[in-house]
Amino acid sequence: MKLRTLGSALALGVGLIAGTAMAEYPERPINMIIPYGAGGATDISARTIAEALGTAAGKPLIMANVTGAGGATGSVAVQNAKPDGYTMLFARVGSHSVNPAMKATLPYTLDDFRFVTVYEINPVACAVRPDSGIESMDDLVAKVAEGGVSYSSSGVGSLLHLAGAMVLKEFGVEDPLNAATHIPQKGGGEAATAVLNGTVTFICTNTSALANFVANNQLKPILVTTEEPVVGFDAPTANDLGKPRLNALVGWTGIAGPAGLPDDVSAKWGDWIVEAAQDAKFSDTMASMGSVIDVMSPEEAIDFINGQYAVFKALVDELGMRIEG
Amino acid sequence: MSLMDSLAAGFALVGNIEAFLMLFIGLVVGVIAGAIPGLSATMAVALTLPFTFAMTPINAILLLLGVYKGGIFGGSIPAILIKTPGTPASSATILDGHPMAERGEAGRALGMALYASCTADAVSNLALILFAGWLASFALNFGPPEFFALILFSLTIIAGVSGESLLRGALSALAGLLLATIGLDLVYGTNRFTLGNPNMMGGLNFIAVLIGLFAIPEIISMAWNPVAHLGKTRALGKSRCSWADYKNSFKSIIRGSMIGVFLGSIPGIGAAPAAFLSYSEARRTSKNQANFGKGEIEGVAASESGNNGVAGATLIPLLALGVPGDVITAIIIGAFMVHGLQPGPMMFILNVDIIYGLFIGLIVSSVFLLIVGSVAIRGFRFVADVPKRILMPGVLILCIYGVFAVNNNIFDVGVMFVMGWVGYIMMRNRIPAAPFLIAFILGPLLEDNFRQAMLMSGSDPIILFRGPITWFFWFLTCLTVFAITRSTLRKRVPLS
Amino acid sequence: MSQKSLHLRLGIVASLFALFLMFYAIPNYVFAPSNVRNIILSPKFWPYVLAGFTAFIGLALLFNAVTSATDTPFEDEETGHPEGSAPWMRLGALGAIMLLVMFGLPLLGMVWTAMLAFAACAFLFRTRHPVAAVVCAVVVPLLLYAFFAHVAGVAIPQGEFVRLP
Repeated sequence: MKLRTLGSALALGVGLIAGTAMAEYPERPINMIIPYGAGGATDISARTIAEALGTAAGKPLIMANVTGAGGATGSVAVQNAKPDGYTMLFARVGSHSVNPAMKATLPYTLDDFRFVTVYEINPVACAVRPDSGIESMDDLVAKVAEGGVSYSSSGVGSLLHLAGAMVLKEFGVEDPLNAATHIPQKGGGEAATAVLNGTVTFICTNTSALANFVANNQLKPILVTTEEPVVGFDAPTANDLGKPRLNALVGWTGIAGPAGLPDDVSAKWGDWIVEAAQDAKFSDTMASMGSVIDVMSPEEAIDFINGQYAVFKALVDELGMRIEG
Repeated sequence: MSLMDSLAAGFALVGNIEAFLMLFIGLVVGVIAGAIPGLSATMAVALTLPFTFAMTPINAILLLLGVYKGGIFGGSIPAILIKTPGTPASSATILDGHPMAERGEAGRALGMALYASCTADAVSNLALILFAGWLASFALNFGPPEFFALILFSLTIIAGVSGESLLRGALSALAGLLLATIGLDLVYGTNRFTLGNPNMMGGLNFIAVLIGLFAIPEIISMAWNPVAHLGKTRALGKSRCSWADYKNSFKSIIRGSMIGVFLGSIPGIGAAPAAFLSYSEARRTSKNQANFGKGEIEGVAASESGNNGVAGATLIPLLALGVPGDVITAIIIGAFMVHGLQPGPMMFILNVDIIYGLFIGLIVSSVFLLIVGSVAIRGFRFVADVPKRILMPGVLILCIYGVFAVNNNIFDVGVMFVMGWVGYIMMRNRIPAAPFLIAFILGPLLEDNFRQAMLMSGSDPIILFRGPITWFFWFLTCLTVFAITRSTLRKRVPLS
Repeated sequence: MSQKSLHLRLGIVASLFALFLMFYAIPNYVFAPSNVRNIILSPKFWPYVLAGFTAFIGLALLFNAVTSATDTPFEDEETGHPEGSAPWMRLGALGAIMLLVMFGLPLLGMVWTAMLAFAACAFLFRTRHPVAAVVCAVVVPLLLYAFFAHVAGVAIPQGEFVRLP
């Protein structure tokens, strides 16, 4: 009796594999790894595009949040996966350009991944408390000279960490690491709260993370890093202030596979993402989050990321921000 | 707009079947998800989020709030029945809930968990509606020094859950603190005890440690002696929670609710410490003190009121400031923003109808929770009747699935197994597990806030005493330590 | 066992562990950058504090064991297992099952591994309902799979051989 039950279960299983004959990619659902927590900017972006992408691909995408170590845990999971196109990663600015630029201890490099697209750009803004007496970047820089200025981030090696240092450096602060104190927090929400309750002086982060505070007049934006102004943010752009180099300081979300991803799989993703980005629901949600949809082909995406990495790496080396050990 | 107008506008929004239906569905989903270990309230809310994109804002948010509240209660069901907390918040419920189930009083424990949860939920919602603005501005006064003082005080809970020996409790807590240091350093980003393994860089998964520490040792004990449970009455509890039970625990429930509201309105603490604090306070003041940890119904009441008291209160910083109090409210903020709403002070002016609609929905949710919970208890009580030697392998499998699902990582299953053996060794050596868990939660908070405070002040320790809030908690800490020392010396809590 | 001997044992273990932390684990496995401005901000500071506390508690346990006069065993202590070495064998077997599960998960997939683990555990515990145990061993993992994969949308590991829909 026992044996028979086991036997029939096995027979059932064997029947199931027989069904999956060789067919064109994708022949089964694709696992998509999100290296950040549920409800975060990456997660919402990924889950919104997933449905449209699944329709384009013809197979559903299964979303899996693998969080930890600033995106490294999830990225490693994809780095070590089989490059068959059935395990892909939603890569983000933090995990794939700031982290590789800053951390010598990171268990992966950009070469371990093959990017198939970058589909979303998030502008970065710097903000202070309205009652801080800081009205502009010049005020902030003047205050740095006086001392006691600090900024928050969602952790060491996050975009926010680099952004704070980079903005100060661009505006003429010689040694931003010692002139201003970096106070890391446990996450993006905590980082914004730290400005609100006066723990730190300013924050530079994605506009989506600041939008509700700015709309409620709890925080005052003093800079956005894009060429164009950002809706709802009454602040000068980096170009207005004559600092076009800050344009490289933007957040993005893209999709990558392991390094050995075949060319045809990469090309397919390039097509699907173009189709998925047409989806009205996706563009509405992205707009309400303050993101700009900018679909890049695989080649453009790789150039874009390497370009940003080079800018960040140069800054990190100049300031000695690299984390060893 | 007057209060009456606001209320009317709120009613107009929620005054339809659909809104209440969403709330109800949310509670059902939440209770079921909470009852499955590993599928915590957080995950349930995250999984529900994409379904809400197409709904009207009020329906979407009521659905998510339903899932949240249901999940926090649902976690107590497996905590009581199979000693596996469904959500971290219900780990305090194990301490007395599971011994009650072992005694054949599962029904009574579950009933009390439900009534305490609903009461605390109602208190919490009232606090949100009446004091949101005041509590939120108070919460904004909490910077790193204040957190440090609060968490230092919270660590004194350990004395209350150490059981028969304070020394062994302290040993357990230290093990928890040490284990929590694994991962990347907060300030410098360097590796601590990661042994070069990328999976350890994010630190040990909390749920894996939690389930490993509580559920797996039970299974290992089963291997040690598969017939130990025979002869004990475990048959399902036909027993029910009586009115007298509720009345006797009422003081603890209200106190637990208050603790929950207070800790919930401060961003970044969460429901698990609230449950433990409420539990240790109830134990300290109860006349049945000796029975705590051996199946005292008041202990169940205190822990469940503590964690449900948080549920409504975390909405205080969310609505009044736009600040998420924990991971779940962070996801709910996402839902607000997807619908083009900006939580914060302006929302009370711009979207007052939605705010009042939410308030009305929240009040109704306490009643709905009572209904859904009663049905769920009836449905789950049969678990107590399953033969234990079949139940235990099932629990093992459930834990494997659940722990994997938390972070989609097989490594976490390994962490759970290893922690299971650690928990078993601790059990054999009479080292209590609860202090370990509290320390594992609070340790990183203590260290991080200490270092953030030091960064703020340029390493000047005076900042740790910077205002009335810190003084208050330092005073409480000193008072508690003094009380513990005195009672230890008098051998009331035997040191040895 | 009595409280006295338990505390003696725990005290020795805790003290040795504290020494291990202070002189081996922390220097070798906690990394601190060279430019730390203040010792209390160093990543090593908190681990050293904890190691110090561990040593303190260890010594307190030893002190307690040495000074306590009474040597009465715990009341609810299990006195001598009736089966001799069999319990130890079962503990070892359960450990082996857990180890095999870790290897089986990526290779066989979660569902098949769980079925084998369930059956193995049920027989290890010498269940009185072998038929029910086998049925449960097959049904429970399948039901859990259906729930987690299709309702909760979790990517349950599928393994190399047999893939479920």
